[in-house]
Amino acid sequence: MISAGIDIGSAFSKGVIAQNQKTLGSCILPSGGDFRIAAERVKNELIACAGLPQDSGEYVIATGLGAKMATFANETKSELACQARGIFELYPAVRTAVDIGDSYSRAFRIDENGKLARFLMNTKCAGGSARILKKIAKILQVDIDDLGRTAPESETPTEFNTNCAVFAESEAVSRLAEGSKKEDLLAGIYRALASQVSNLAERIGIESDFALVGGGAKHAGLVKAVEEIIGLRIVVPPNPQLCGALGAALIAGETSRIQLN
Amino acid sequence: MSDKGTNVWSKVNSYYQDYGARAKELKKDGQRFMAYICSFVPLEIIHAAGFIPFRVRGDVHEPITKGDSQMETIACPFMRSCFDLSIKGKYSFCEGIVVPHACDSITRTYSVWKFSLGFPYSHFVNTPHKASDSGREFLKNELEVFRKSLGRFAGKEISNGAIVDAVRLYNENRTKAKALYEFRKQDPPLVSGAEINKLLAVAMSLPVNEANELFDEALADLRQRKTSPLKKAPRIMVAGACLDNVDLIQLIEDSGANMVVDSLCIGTRDYWPLTDETSDPLEALAQRYLEKINCPKTCQNSEGSTFDGDLEQRFGDVGALIKEFKVDGVILYVYKYCDPFGFEVPARKAHLDSLNIPVLCLEDEYSAGTIGRLRTRIQAFLEMRG
Repeated sequence: MISAGIDIGSAFSKGVIAQNQKTLGSCILPSGGDFRIAAERVKNELIACAGLPQDSGEYVIATGLGAKMATFANETKSELACQARGIFELYPAVRTAVDIGDSYSRAFRIDENGKLARFLMNTKCAGGSARILKKIAKILQVDIDDLGRTAPESETPTEFNTNCAVFAESEAVSRLAEGSKKEDLLAGIYRALASQVSNLAERIGIESDFALVGGGAKHAGLVKAVEEIIGLRIVVPPNPQLCGALGAALIAGETSRIQLN
Repeated sequence: MSDKGTNVWSKVNSYYQDYGARAKELKKDGQRFMAYICSFVPLEIIHAAGFIPFRVRGDVHEPITKGDSQMETIACPFMRSCFDLSIKGKYSFCEGIVVPHACDSITRTYSVWKFSLGFPYSHFVNTPHKASDSGREFLKNELEVFRKSLGRFAGKEISNGAIVDAVRLYNENRTKAKALYEFRKQDPPLVSGAEINKLLAVAMSLPVNEANELFDEALADLRQRKTSPLKKAPRIMVAGACLDNVDLIQLIEDSGANMVVDSLCIGTRDYWPLTDETSDPLEALAQRYLEKINCPKTCQNSEGSTFDGDLEQRFGDVGALIKEFKVDGVILYVYKYCDPFGFEVPARKAHLDSLNIPVLCLEDEYSAGTIGRLRTRIQAFLEMRG
């Protein structure tokens, strides 16, 4: 029995395909300007990487901001429920997690059965989301993946006074103009974002183990900064961007099994 | 559904889509309209003066543009939208505007409403913020001031008799509105929340007689509905300030829930309380508008003012509705910069937690564009119930 989870986010579209709840393959593609096309591409890629013929009768759950655009999906589920399920599969001891996405950050609590128990999203705007990291990479003219690989060595992180991704961008440019070092600037950005992320987590109550997922969790500097604030070791999956899609694929597998019986 | 039944809901829909269309027709026949905002304006006095009270509505689909040039963005987005539509001329068939002493966004912008819109008449009804004997006495005097002021503009004295008649008509109107809720007690309810709230909203743009007829037609249609067009689903209450666009309710119902009751204006908060018909009409109106409309802008203290007693006084009605309508979860919906409801979120949450009822708090911008963001939260909230 084949199941798939497709997570259409504002920046990236992710997919996981599984057979009898064992992952066969996964993919991550930029969402681009058309979520419908992105969803189709993820689906085709998954089928190809799993070595399956077209129309394998897979049961698909779509999630994420653009879930509705995956019109071929059997059903949609909130990304919160999918994330919770995905994390539970990888780390059953995790009770609190924050998903740092491109548009939103979401803190949630997972119960001992892997179900979403409580959640909180950053409101209003992209402040507190990973969007700012993309902007900073652009300002510093470095590849976003290279940026995330290692935490910056900084003695004096630059202070940021704003929570807003747009203002933070102009603030970063001003700091560079004042002669801030690249490492200090980066460390400052990570610290500002980390304080928003941990604030979100504290508002729903932190119970360990604690995990960070989503594209933001690929930044070692951010993970380190959050660890410093909350004083806990943080669990990060090897591919934190795929958690939602993984959860969706697993829920899809469970659902289709129930339907078959 | 009979033809008549189909007619009433399609009429509601067309009034809802083109809000004020009927008023413009009636204006051509010589009827006079008086605009008002919020639920604290005594409609009975406006009616008794020979005007048709017309509730100013916002529109979540219309970007706020011109309004922001005159009203600061520190005001709540709902008021800004109401004002934006007004200054764009949507309600220019009205002859005046009546504004109550309600929340800060309304109270502090009165001069903007008064001077920017250029209506021949405007009045500020100074509703006190504490339910007490002295407050009621004060409001009664204020209503007397309003009666005289509006009477001068109308060119006639507003008699006690005319107010008594208006009280009776509005009591009828509100009794009918309350009767609509009976059809939501079944599981699944016989009528969707979006349908009811559209009906309640458009009724506030019509002469009370027409609104009463519309309610009668809707009630007749619902009485003969044998089976519900809806599916069994979690029963949700929406609680919050003023909801005059049904997009949120639609979203909740599209996400696989039934909205069965509300603690809202336009809804149970302003429709359910009746005016005492046996006492002096201004005294009775003062009592209704001060003590019976349970909005957080009015401080309600319990006897002896204990913490638990005050909580019960403030939110007891919400608890009662949850029981009466067998509510499974509450969505607390608050606009950004909403002072009365915003400050109260922790207390409201605590009260709902004490009732062991799941609650989802949503803060929003009063804009259809932010709906996608709410969809995820509503979906997750409902999945957690399932």
